[in-house]
Amino acid sequence: MKKVIVKLIGGGKLQMVRISLLAITAGLIFGAIVLLLIGKNPLAAYGNLLQGSGLLPKHSYAGRQNMFTDFMSFLDALTPMIFASLAVSVAMKAGLFNIGVSGMMLAAGFSAAITVGYSDLPAVIAKPLAIIIGMLAGALIGALTGWLKYRFNINEVVSSIMLNYILMYVITFFINTYYVNAVSRQSNPINDEARLTLTNVQAFDLKFNIPLAFPLAIISAVLIWFIMNRTTIGFEIKAVGLSRNAARYVGIGISKNIVLSMTISGALAGLAGITYFCGFYASIQPGVVPGMGFNAIAVALLGSCDPIGCIFSSFLITIISKGAIYMSSQQGVEIEIADLVMAIILIFAACAEFLKMYSERLSTELDDAKKKEVRSS
Amino acid sequence: MDNSGYMIEMRHITKRFPGLIANDDISLGIKKGEIFALLGENGAGKSTLMSVLFGMYEPDKGEIYIRGEKVKITSPRHATQLGIGMVHQHFCLVSNYTVAENIILGSEPKKRLLGIIPKVDIKKANADIAALSEKYGLKVDPTSVISDLNVSTQQRVEILKMLYRDAEILIFDEPTAVLTPQEIEYLLDIIRGLRDVGKTVIIITHKLEEIKLVADRCAVLNRGKLVDILDVASTSTSEMARLMVGHEVSFSSDKTEANPGETVLKVENLTVKGEMGHDAVKNVSFEIHSGEIFALAGVSGNGQNELADTIAGLRDCIAGKIILNGTDITNMPIRKRIEAGVAYIPEDRHNVGLVLNFPLRDNLALKRYYKADFSKHIVMDKKALSDNGNRLITEYDIRSSHGNSTITAAMSGGNQQKAIIARELDLKTPLIIFMQPTRGLDIGAISNIHKQIIAERDRGAAVLLISLELDEIMDCADTIGVIFDGQINRIAKASELTVNEVGRFMMGVTDGGESA
Repeated sequence: MKKVIVKLIGGGKLQMVRISLLAITAGLIFGAIVLLLIGKNPLAAYGNLLQGSGLLPKHSYAGRQNMFTDFMSFLDALTPMIFASLAVSVAMKAGLFNIGVSGMMLAAGFSAAITVGYSDLPAVIAKPLAIIIGMLAGALIGALTGWLKYRFNINEVVSSIMLNYILMYVITFFINTYYVNAVSRQSNPINDEARLTLTNVQAFDLKFNIPLAFPLAIISAVLIWFIMNRTTIGFEIKAVGLSRNAARYVGIGISKNIVLSMTISGALAGLAGITYFCGFYASIQPGVVPGMGFNAIAVALLGSCDPIGCIFSSFLITIISKGAIYMSSQQGVEIEIADLVMAIILIFAACAEFLKMYSERLSTELDDAKKKEVRSS
Repeated sequence: MDNSGYMIEMRHITKRFPGLIANDDISLGIKKGEIFALLGENGAGKSTLMSVLFGMYEPDKGEIYIRGEKVKITSPRHATQLGIGMVHQHFCLVSNYTVAENIILGSEPKKRLLGIIPKVDIKKANADIAALSEKYGLKVDPTSVISDLNVSTQQRVEILKMLYRDAEILIFDEPTAVLTPQEIEYLLDIIRGLRDVGKTVIIITHKLEEIKLVADRCAVLNRGKLVDILDVASTSTSEMARLMVGHEVSFSSDKTEANPGETVLKVENLTVKGEMGHDAVKNVSFEIHSGEIFALAGVSGNGQNELADTIAGLRDCIAGKIILNGTDITNMPIRKRIEAGVAYIPEDRHNVGLVLNFPLRDNLALKRYYKADFSKHIVMDKKALSDNGNRLITEYDIRSSHGNSTITAAMSGGNQQKAIIARELDLKTPLIIFMQPTRGLDIGAISNIHKQIIAERDRGAAVLLISLELDEIMDCADTIGVIFDGQINRIAKASELTVNEVGRFMMGVTDGGESA
C-alpha cells in the first residue's frame, strides 16, 4: 500500500502534476459512485460533459449549430477562468491569499461597462479601451489590498473579503439606480462594440461566438510564467512569498513586492472581470459576486499555482461547469452532480501539500526499511 | 543475567548521525532510587543518549533493559508506558491552557454527562493535581494559565506531568539552564525529594557544582564515548572537569599572528531597542581593523543578536553611529549596505539565511541575482546561476543530492551553513559578521569554518565573530570583547585574557577579578 502511494505521488519535478491527476481521478471516481447510486450511467454522464463542452459530438444539433459552436462557447467560458486562476496564482507566489478576485472582477466589469460599454465609440477603440479600463480597475483594488497589508498589516484575506462586499453593494446601488434594465432586472446590456465576445457570427453555414480575448489569456499565462521563472521580478516575489525574513535579509523590498504582486494579481482579476461581464455575459447581475472568483482559488491550487498548470486546470473545471447543463438535460440528473465532482477534485487539489508531505514521509520510511534489510542480510 | 540490580541498563548503545557518531558503544546501569548525572560538553552525546532511552531515536546498535527486562522503546508514548518521563530543555506546554489541562493532556480523566456524553472531568483533575503537588512539595496552582507562570513554575508543571503519569524514571535535560540561583536550589531540593520517595532520577548537565550537590553517581561522556562512571562523593570537581574536557582543547587552530591594518568598522555609542522595548544594546563602541578577528563573547540574550542585526541593517538603532571604511552607514538600506561591503552569516540559518524552498543555486546567488553577471535588465540568466552554483559547490565542498538544483530544505544543516558561508564569503567584503557560525555542527565542520574565518582575516577582511562558545572565541579571536546586559564591559587582546577572565566578564563581574 505504502509503495503504491509513493509510486503514485512520488517526488521530482512532475510530482505536482501527478497529485493533480490523482485529485481529478478521485473526483471522477467519487462522482461515478454517486451517479451509480442514483441509477445513472457515469460514463454516459461524463460523456455528456464533454459533449456539452464541444469536445465530443452530440447526437443531434439545432439548426446552424454543431460541435464547433459548442467548443467556441466553451472557450468563451474558459477565458475568464484562466485569468482568474492566474490572478490567484500570482498572489499565492508572494505568499498572499487573494480571495478578492470576485470583487475585482465586478469592479473591472462595471467600470468598463459604464465608461465604454454604453458609449458609442467604434469597436476598434472600445474593445481595447474596455480591456485597459478593466485591468486598471482590478490593479487599483489589488494595489489597495497590498498597501493595506504592508502599511497597516491588515491581513489580505480579511481586507479582500470586505472589499468584495463593499464593491458588490456599491456597484449594486449604482446599477439599481442608474443602469437597471426593466425586463431582466440586471444592468443594461453593453453595446456590441465594447463586448469582447463576438456573438452570433455567421460563417460556414454556422452561427457561433468568438471569444476575442482567449488568445490574450494564453499569452498572459505564458508571460506570467516567464516573469515568475525567468526574471528578477519573479525571483523577488517568490523569495518574499517563501521567506519574508530571508528576503529582507538580502535586501529585497518586502512592501514593494507585496504591492507589486497584488497589483499584477488585480490586473489579471480585472481581465477576468471584463472577459466575464463584457464578454461571456454582456450585463451585470446586481447583488451577487461572481462565484468564479472563489472557484479560481481551487483551480489555481489544482494547477499547483503554475501559470501553465492554470490553463489545464481551468480547462478541466470549465468542461465540468460548462457541460453540466447538457448532462443534466440528457441524464435527468441534477446539475449539482457536476458541482459535486468539481468540489471533490478541488478538495483533493487543496490537499496537495499534505499529500506531498505524506508521500515524502512514506518514502523515507521505505528507504529506512530497505537499508535495514540490506544491513541484516 | 546479573542486571537484576539495575532499574535501567543500557548496553553497547551506538547512534550515528550523518557525519558523526553521537553515541559510541555506551554501556551503563542506573540503580533504582539514585540520582544519576550525565556530564559532558555541548555535543558530547548526553541528550542523544537520553533521547534513545525516551524512545525518540532508535539506536543503531545496542540493547536497553528496564527493570531487568529487555525492551525496544519505539516512541515517547511507549517510554511513558514503561514509567519513563522526561523534562525537555524547551518545555512542551500549551501556553493558553491551565496547569491542570496541560498535565492531563493525552490521559484525561473522563466522566459521562447523563451517563452518555463523554466529558473531561476537570474537577477531578484539579483535585488530583493539587494532591500530587502537595505530596511532592511542588507548589503550583492547577487552575492558573501557563502563559502567566514564570519559567521555574512551568518546569514544576513539567515535573508534575511526569508524576501524574506515574513515572518512576525521571529524566531532566539541562534543568537549571534557565533558572536563577534560588530557583536552582529549590529544584535541587525537589529532585532530592523525588529520590527519597524511590524515584530514579537522571540529570543531563554540564554544570559540575550541581552534580556535586545532588548526584549520587555520574557518567562522563566525551565526544560520544563513555569516559568513566564516577562515585560523586569521592571524586573532586577538578577531576570531573578533567575527564569531561578529556584533553587539551583539541582543534586549537594554528593561526598566525594578526596583522591589523586600517579601521574598517567603527561603532560609536550604539543603542538599540530589543523586541520587548528595553535597551538591548546600550551605548556600545568598538572598532575592528582589517586583518583582525574581533570576537564578541557573552551569554545568550545579552544583546549580541540585536547588535549584529543592527550592523547588518536588519534593525534600527535609536542612537549612535556605524561607520564602514569612513562612510556613515547607520541609516543605509540593507541592499546598499551589502554593496558597501557588509557580509552577514546570521544565527538563524533556516528562517533568515536561506529561502529553504529555493533550489541551492538560487540561494547561492541570493545577494547577487540582480547584478549584471546574472541578469540582463530583468531577465535572469539561468546558466549563469547554475555555473555560479557549481563553482561555489566545488569551492566550498557543499554536498547535496541533486547538485545545484537541490531544494535547500532537503540538505543537512552543516551543508546549509556551508552554502550560506560560501555565498557570503564570495562577496569578498571588507567586513564579515559571523553570528554563531558553528551552532549545531559536528566537529569536522566546526574546524573547517574556523579555518575559513582565519583565511578571511588573512585576506584582509575585518571579522566580527559572535559566539556563545567560549572555546570558539579563544580559538579564533585576535581581540576579545565581552558583552553583558547590552554593554561591552571589556575589550582586550586575546593574548591578554584567560578563559576564566572572559568567563567572569560574561557573568557581569567587572572588577576585583584581575588577580585571579
